Amino acid sequence: MAVSKMKQHRTKMKVSTASKVFDFCNILFMVLFCITILFPFWDMIVRSFSRPQDISYIDLNLWPKVWSIDAYSYCLKDNAIVQAFFVSVARTVVGTFLHVIICCMAAYSLIHSEIPFRGPIMAFFVIPMFISGGMIPAYLNMKNLNLLNNFWVYVLPTAFSVFDCIIIRNYFFSIDKGMEEAASIDGANAFHIFFRIILPVSKPVLATVSLWQMVGQWNAWFDNMVYCRSNANLTTLQYTLRRMLDSITEKMNTQVGVAEAMGELVELNSDTVKAATTIIVTLPIILVYPFLQKYFVQGIMVGAVKG
Amino acid sequence: MKKQKGKPAVASGDLSRRVKRAMPYYIFLLPAAILVFLFSYMPLGGIVIAFKDYKMARGIGGSDWIGFANFQKMFSDYNFWRVLKNTVKISVLTLLTSFPVTIIFTLLVNELMNLRFKKTVQTITYMPHFLSWVVVGTFVYQILSPVNGVVNLLLVKLGILDQSVYFMMQSDMFVPVYLVTNLWKGTGYSIVIYLATISGIDTQLYEACAIDGGNRFHKVLYITLPAMLPTMCTMLILSVGNLITVGFDPIFNLYSDATYQTADVISTYVYRKGLVESKFSFSAAMGLFQNVVSLGLVMIANWFARKANPEYKII
Repeated sequence: MAVSKMKQHRTKMKVSTASKVFDFCNILFMVLFCITILFPFWDMIVRSFSRPQDISYIDLNLWPKVWSIDAYSYCLKDNAIVQAFFVSVARTVVGTFLHVIICCMAAYSLIHSEIPFRGPIMAFFVIPMFISGGMIPAYLNMKNLNLLNNFWVYVLPTAFSVFDCIIIRNYFFSIDKGMEEAASIDGANAFHIFFRIILPVSKPVLATVSLWQMVGQWNAWFDNMVYCRSNANLTTLQYTLRRMLDSITEKMNTQVGVAEAMGELVELNSDTVKAATTIIVTLPIILVYPFLQKYFVQGIMVGAVKG
Repeated sequence: MKKQKGKPAVASGDLSRRVKRAMPYYIFLLPAAILVFLFSYMPLGGIVIAFKDYKMARGIGGSDWIGFANFQKMFSDYNFWRVLKNTVKISVLTLLTSFPVTIIFTLLVNELMNLRFKKTVQTITYMPHFLSWVVVGTFVYQILSPVNGVVNLLLVKLGILDQSVYFMMQSDMFVPVYLVTNLWKGTGYSIVIYLATISGIDTQLYEACAIDGGNRFHKVLYITLPAMLPTMCTMLILSVGNLITVGFDPIFNLYSDATYQTADVISTYVYRKGLVESKFSFSAAMGLFQNVVSLGLVMIANWFARKANPEYKII
């Protein structure tokens, strides 16, 4: 067997000059692809550590001329940015916790096929996946519920997702039914079973769903712009960055503005500060990225199985 | 328990006993049900303002019914036709670029022999998927900046441009910029989805192909591609349903007043009309139009898919 495999291998090697050329080009192409993906990150990092005067003219900056942490210290001294950071952290922590617990509770109920009215209940949850009111009715609804300029508007609307619930339910299905039955014979009630038995053995799916939700919460900015625009205390880090983007486009909108901005950026350090803010906004995602990567593909597979 | 379901008539006393026994499970469902009701069903009631002359002071119930007047106004609005055209154009072009690029890139990644390198490529390329569009927008503005952006630097150095161009302010450059950004952000993610499909292929098929004298190209053509077909169909159908929907986030973070002509899509127009100019009824009508058309498109696509393959379904 081994011999024949080796022979096969050798013949393959002999035939494949074209194959080798292809492999080489392919690797080269992939390296270029990766550089394209990584370059904007690196560009931003270099800018954030540069002095404003070093990046104000057109030149390739692959390395800061002089390393400077001025932009970061500016950000850390800016109360608005620091507060926005804490708002973002708060919504991520609270939002993720609520989301995971509520989705898990619903998923746990839905694995029990014996509960009456299970069909209508499922329909009730699934219908909104296909029909939605849209942006304006959603806004008026938040206004009605007194959620405008209120921290809860960040975490409540996202606290339940049918999709995540179905993924968790599929995982719960795979848990041995015997464990639940044994516990229930021992007199454990549904709450005990859920918290003591089901949740502890479901760590992989809990990790998957929490990571998704963490990323979603951290990256959210639209709800801030629409629902909490007039409460500066609730500004998130993403929206802070979005507003920096706004100020650039506003400036560039008039021809005079463009000319002005081209000259002005030299003295303003807004470019480096913006770069530093971008890095601060991106850093948490990069930090959880190894974990995301571990659970991400798993999650896709679960979703695919479900489909 | 399941046996009871099959019984023709369940006595009411039996049902109430079962409900009572299932009470803890209903309590577990309650938070989710309340949230779905508050944030998914309640807004549905607000759709009626598309048929009303909504005044905030009078509330939804107190405003006057005006029938289809908002829709008439919408269809006679020059801007509406512009955003409709842009929406369809951008979504079709997105489909035409991202679909082939994803397939080709997936096949190329799949051909990488060094597993560690393959893994590294995947790890690097799907990272942008986890960034918010605000961050991506900042990247794009930076890269294309006329003052110190890399693209202008290269184009000027290579002699293609005489002087820096502010790409983000040119309406004819918006769509290309959007498409490239979209590829930058999404290709890696799609590759992972397709690779998951490919990893499910039985390796014996490849061995059989090799024994029959097939080379690498044959393997791709006769084994890998056919195996990717179901996933490709799903993706295609989902995008047909989205033909009239272009996401709000990517457009909003890349466009500006200067590029409205080519960049403005339905969702961004609804946002500006409704939430910036407070023309709630008008923009609710436009949003409703978009939702109804896209639901119709999904159903049609789904019907065709089922016709082609009875086992296939999304809804």
